[in-house]
Amino acid sequence: MAQLDSESINEVWRDIQQDFSAERKVIPILKEDLKAAIVALDTFLSNNASTINSAIPQPARSGLTTTQKAKLLSYVIYKRYIKEV
Amino acid sequence: MASGDSLVQMAPQEAEFPATTGPGLDTRNNHPVLDFDASLSEVCYFSKVMPQHYAGGGVNVYLHTAYSSAVAGTGAWAAAFERVGEVLDIDADSFASDKYVFVPVPATAGYITVDSIGFSDGAEVDSLAVGETFRLRVMRDGATGADTATGDGELRFVEIREA
Repeated sequence: MAQLDSESINEVWRDIQQDFSAERKVIPILKEDLKAAIVALDTFLSNNASTINSAIPQPARSGLTTTQKAKLLSYVIYKRYIKEV
Repeated sequence: MASGDSLVQMAPQEAEFPATTGPGLDTRNNHPVLDFDASLSEVCYFSKVMPQHYAGGGVNVYLHTAYSSAVAGTGAWAAAFERVGEVLDIDADSFASDKYVFVPVPATAGYITVDSIGFSDGAEVDSLAVGETFRLRVMRDGATGADTATGDGELRFVEIREA
């Protein structure tokens, strides 16, 4: 999948700021620094999509759609880093 | 009234909202606030009457703001007056020019900062006269490059004082 366009980057940027604001957790960086992080992560995913895909064993790798594998990745990230135990 | 005396005060609950791109009414530890988005220019309005004791010396608009998550950077806020009285066709807006204040974000989360914008009498307050109704438009200009604060800016109070 190609990298996100600027409109999509801005949507992520807006949504994550609203999420952070709702939590009222301290964010010590400027909003342009936050956007740079979003762009960098998007670039990383674009550059490493095939590597991530290769990490998924068969039959899941070929049996799941790209969207399903992306959801799978997001669920693992959420459980590891976001959902408080 | 003497310089520095309070003319009008406005709480978040009194805000009037546009059809789109307006702040959200929220509470922060039961303190009512208006949450302004970080990535858009959002406005709200307050309708008041200019008190009889306004001496015509111009006014200072004091914005009491905080930030939901930011502890660094700058918030770009602006205010503008619209004289209503008996002279405005209220089917269309007729605000005087926005005047800006660039607010340094408090380094401690939860702290309110009070910053003022000066308006001279006459055109800058849309030629508003004593006893006339008016609207004050308050904006956080999250779309401008000068606004660098991450996350929501919160408006806690507005006060207008004699300059």
